[in-house]
Amino acid sequence: MTNGLDIIIAGGGRVGFQTAEILANRDHDVTIIERNERIVSEIADEWIATVIEGDATNPEIIEQAGIERADTIAALTGETGLNLAVCLAASELDPGIRTIARIGRAAGTAYTRFVDAVLFPERAGARVAANEIAGSDVQTLADVTGDLDIMLVRVAEGAPAAGKQLTEVRFPAGTLVVSDDDGHRVARPDTTLTPGNRYVVAVEPDVADEVMNLMRG
Amino acid sequence: MSGSQTRAPEAELGLLDATMIGMGAMIGAGIFVLTGLAAEIAGPAAILVFALNGVVTAFTGLSYAELAASIPKSGGGYAFVREIFDDLPSFIMGWMLWFAYMIAGALYALGFAPNFLELLHVYGIVPPPDQVGAVVLPVIDAGVPLAFLLAFVAVLGLVLLNAVSTAASGSVETIFTIIKVSILVVFVAFGLASPMFSGAEFQPLFPEGSGAAAILPAMGLTFIAFEGYDLITTVTEEVKNPRENIPKAIFVSLIVTVIVYLAVVTVAIATLGAGGLADAGEAGIAAAATSFMPTGLPIIQNGGALIVFGAVFSTLTALNAVVIASSRVAFSMGREGQLLPSFGQLHHRYGTPFVAILASAVVMLGSVALPTQSAGNMSSLFFLLSFIIVNVAVIRLRRERPNMNRPYEMPFYPAPPLIGIALNLILAGVLVEYLIRTDPLALVLSAAWILLGGIAYFALNRLRAQPTRSPTDTDTEVTPEAED
Repeated sequence: MTNGLDIIIAGGGRVGFQTAEILANRDHDVTIIERNERIVSEIADEWIATVIEGDATNPEIIEQAGIERADTIAALTGETGLNLAVCLAASELDPGIRTIARIGRAAGTAYTRFVDAVLFPERAGARVAANEIAGSDVQTLADVTGDLDIMLVRVAEGAPAAGKQLTEVRFPAGTLVVSDDDGHRVARPDTTLTPGNRYVVAVEPDVADEVMNLMRG
Repeated sequence: MSGSQTRAPEAELGLLDATMIGMGAMIGAGIFVLTGLAAEIAGPAAILVFALNGVVTAFTGLSYAELAASIPKSGGGYAFVREIFDDLPSFIMGWMLWFAYMIAGALYALGFAPNFLELLHVYGIVPPPDQVGAVVLPVIDAGVPLAFLLAFVAVLGLVLLNAVSTAASGSVETIFTIIKVSILVVFVAFGLASPMFSGAEFQPLFPEGSGAAAILPAMGLTFIAFEGYDLITTVTEEVKNPRENIPKAIFVSLIVTVIVYLAVVTVAIATLGAGGLADAGEAGIAAAATSFMPTGLPIIQNGGALIVFGAVFSTLTALNAVVIASSRVAFSMGREGQLLPSFGQLHHRYGTPFVAILASAVVMLGSVALPTQSAGNMSSLFFLLSFIIVNVAVIRLRRERPNMNRPYEMPFYPAPPLIGIALNLILAGVLVEYLIRTDPLALVLSAAWILLGGIAYFALNRLRAQPTRSPTDTDTEVTPEAED
């Protein structure tokens, strides 16, 4: 089967849109539910995801987003209560779905009784800001680069590049395999891409899908 | 295949480039290869045949425009249907579309060969095409028709090219298309000016015996001439402001193509006559050109050679386009788990969808053994069927997801998709009826392909039900072996 996930994102604002963009670049299938007509039109211009215009708490709208085929739903609007309601409604419609809710304050594990995961974007942003202020270059490497994605990729069994040495694999221009498989050495031409091991890879967004295909199958 | 699945950050193609991709695919081989065959069936009414096919296709064009604007995926028809339908219907769509492109490839290769021979003939290298016999191959000790051999070599060459290198697209395609259209404009201009045109004879419009009814089978055969605008939707991500430009590009390319076709067919029939055109078959336009183009020109000697060159060039570029298009459908199906996973993998060394290209090549190479007319009929039939599904997809999407954002909405919904379904069904029905009478082989092969698809679908489902990894492993081993 394809390794791309089928993802629904409720709320196409700043957090929702950025998330959708990153996921779409990684070859996942994203559907956005957005209430505001102006934002819907802005997302459509970017051409990254199918957009359903409507209220994400309305079961009919959730169904139109293709809930029965989706692997994950992430409620990323700015309202914690609404996000939880969307996740609960989604689990009700499709009990197998993975639910993720954006929350507005640090709440520990309290909400994970209702949803599979919570995220607190303000906290994540604050961590980056703190790193930046403290001047710790290494930790923020992934965040200071412009469009470049630094990713940790596990080579899948049976992928085209699995078990091959780096010299044997023609990665598209705009790709750099950074680390050796044990993570202690910088990758050399004779580095073998062992299935099951993880590699740090720097890629430009437009070739990310090809790199994923080669390393993940 | 670079950038075929994700959205590329830089949208580089403008409205002109997108239009040219559609026109380039349409004004490829269809006009050169099929005009003679259409004249054979419908007589001077071949002009009407092309005009009406343009109208029929326009309804499906509206559906493509709406889907392409609202579903941000670059896969073309299969990707849209996959988004809207369950497993089985989308598999059938992909399976049929894949076949349609492959047979179209065979058709273009078969159109390339006689035109190439004609080009050689113009310069006196070989005798006239109809006198070229068979080449005797000492190795297998049997005669192989030269035209067949040429078609085979053309497919093989382009398949190998695409298997080991990711082809450039976009701006190159624009230049190619401008060359093709310019050559046809020269053809039309000289044709209109030639003395043969003033004495043009379009009567009787319909062939004797069958009358106006002859139009329908000719439409079925030449339907494939308008296949190509759908390829615009395979590059949507690279187009600037896609939700406006994609629908525009589809319509502009369709309209311009219809105009070019009508001009070319009118001139061809006026100068060579429907009978002469029919006799020339796949090289009809080339034969018409050599009849009126000036001779004794510097360098190229015979003006007709320019048109013949246009035919050779167009059939080759169109063949290249469908080699890419067919492998892209197979690749997407592999990615979606609707074919073996190896179809959806890039080759680790060449960066191309190697397995998908090779699989497409096998069918294409086998199909060049078909008569040109059968290839045209079969690919038209499968395009008609898959276009029906595209129209149904629009209706289904509107019903099931009324709140989906649709940057482009077709006017007068639901009339266009319903009319599109009805017209495509009628043409498909007429074509099947025509095949029963004249070409049972094509019909049997078509049915066999669908049957094979059914077997493949259920076999694949069985395979997926078992958690064993053996099928994937055996297939990935094929790739490195083929590389050396």
